[in-house]
Amino acid sequence: MKVPLPAWVRPRAAIGLLAACVVLALVPLLNGAVYWHNLLTLTFVGVAAALAWNWLGGYLGQVSFGHAAMFGVGGFVAAQLQLQLRFPMLVSWAIGGVAAGAFSLIWGHPTLRLRGPYFSIATIGVGEATRLVCTYWDWFTGGSSGLSLPMRSNLKYELYWYGIALAALAVAASYALRRSPMGLSLLAIKSDVDAASDVGVSATRLQDWVLFLSGLTIGICGAFYASYFSYIEPGDMFGFDRSISWVLMGVIGGIGTILGPALGAVIFILVKEYLIASYPQLYLGLYGTLLVLVILFEPLGITGLFLRLVRRRRPDLAVTGMAAED
Amino acid sequence: MERFAELVIASVLLAGLYATMAYGLGLIYGVLRIVNLNHGGMIMAGAYAAWWLHAALGLDPYLSLALVSVVAFFVGIFTYRLLVRRLPRGAAGGVQSLLLLFGVWLILRNAAYLIFTGNDHTLRTSYSTLAVGIGSALVSVNRIAVFGVAILILVFLHLLLTRTYMGKAIRAVAQNPDSCTLVGIPVERIYGLTFGLGTALASAAGLLGSTLFPFNPTFGGAELLKSFVVVVLGGLGSVAGTAIAALILAVVEVFAILVIPAYLTAAVGFVLLVVVLVVRPGGLFGQRVLG
Repeated sequence: MKVPLPAWVRPRAAIGLLAACVVLALVPLLNGAVYWHNLLTLTFVGVAAALAWNWLGGYLGQVSFGHAAMFGVGGFVAAQLQLQLRFPMLVSWAIGGVAAGAFSLIWGHPTLRLRGPYFSIATIGVGEATRLVCTYWDWFTGGSSGLSLPMRSNLKYELYWYGIALAALAVAASYALRRSPMGLSLLAIKSDVDAASDVGVSATRLQDWVLFLSGLTIGICGAFYASYFSYIEPGDMFGFDRSISWVLMGVIGGIGTILGPALGAVIFILVKEYLIASYPQLYLGLYGTLLVLVILFEPLGITGLFLRLVRRRRPDLAVTGMAAED
Repeated sequence: MERFAELVIASVLLAGLYATMAYGLGLIYGVLRIVNLNHGGMIMAGAYAAWWLHAALGLDPYLSLALVSVVAFFVGIFTYRLLVRRLPRGAAGGVQSLLLLFGVWLILRNAAYLIFTGNDHTLRTSYSTLAVGIGSALVSVNRIAVFGVAILILVFLHLLLTRTYMGKAIRAVAQNPDSCTLVGIPVERIYGLTFGLGTALASAAGLLGSTLFPFNPTFGGAELLKSFVVVVLGGLGSVAGTAIAALILAVVEVFAILVIPAYLTAAVGFVLLVVVLVVRPGGLFGQRVLG
């Protein structure tokens, strides 16, 4: 049987993704340890969120410091739909995601149209203002005491596979957003908006689309997170730390690369689990130091290091098109 | 009517602080084309420096202003030489400088948590509770003093930028760094000086703010956003434009309390920013913020 694939999809990449999904899907059947199950599920959400952040921060060069706003909106909308209207879980995730995407357009549409750092600065305000307002709106978020979702036995166990699906979709979308003809348009917008519009690339529309997709995915991650922990409160969902964590995942793995942020998410979650848990009073400083060091010495993060190694070994291999540096 | 007068006076006095805060951010942006995200960190650092000098040495915050500003000036030059200078210019450098300076801000914030804990601090002096009557309104002496000092700082800056060689060089570099190299202006040094000046202004604003509001290590985040709103509103480089924009922000914020619940005031600055960006992206006075 021949599966029809668009010309820009390399069969090897598609097979690799499928194989990774199958292997990961089998893990809990072989090793039932709750600890690993839990850590892996959280890693899947981290991977999906970091990739979604990267579509904006990396592919378009519009760094967001406030993506937690969409995470929270998605989570609380999905939670309320399940609590008040008894919607099925997946439907409420989808609606939560769309609500988060729409929310991101409300403030992002005007700020993305302008060149320069307006968007980034606005995100700092959006994150903070959304957290404050949502903490006061207790009809929506339950205030600082939060919301408890209906629990079902085995739900946590099943959500592992939903997590794989979420991460796999995000990886596929990252690949499509970079390698498809649309990916070229995004690169063009990133390097020169004027030149891009001269050749017929509609920067406004594409940027809005990417923002919407990014908000949607982050919102679904928030909804997933809500179902997984079955208890959410605004201080955690909308937290500043959460926004920074995605920035860091992107920077560590390599901003603008296809898989870098996914790798960054894995590393970030491991570091958080083993290092930062033991020094909770130092984590902001550690995040900051990491940011400064990576940006100064290897702006493409792990991916940059990897490319450097490849070039040293095989100077004949010209690795281009992957690095999104201007 | 009495309430109205009170609110007008409150907005004018607040505007002085906002103008000082914003000018540092606008100066660095105008000359280096970099948004100094560590602006918030230096505002916070200025507030804690004032508190510590008052608590440990009994130094009045208005006396420590000069000391704190000078130290912050050198911290700024150091930040530029050590970190910012190493980044490429242009689009890639823009994103990288945002992330880099954000990292510095996180480190400063962590240091504040370690040294001063996350609790709110307030700076209380013997005159903190004094007030004088202006017409029918009762106004805190401290607020008037903050306003006066802010005006002095802005006048000093205006003279520095228009009457001295260094100021003229800074303005020239903002216009065209390449031609400056041709006529022998040390562009790199001017960049460093500008970064130092902007940083000093941030810490001065933080110090003034600490005499009015309680603060904790997150202090500076909302102030950074407000500074940015003022810069966008007022355009770059003009002291008068900055002052008018600061006044507009202050008036909108203070009068917003009349019509919306208090917890929503955090979003006022942001809404104003979006409205300005949509209606007049070039700022109120027509200058393009980005060339």
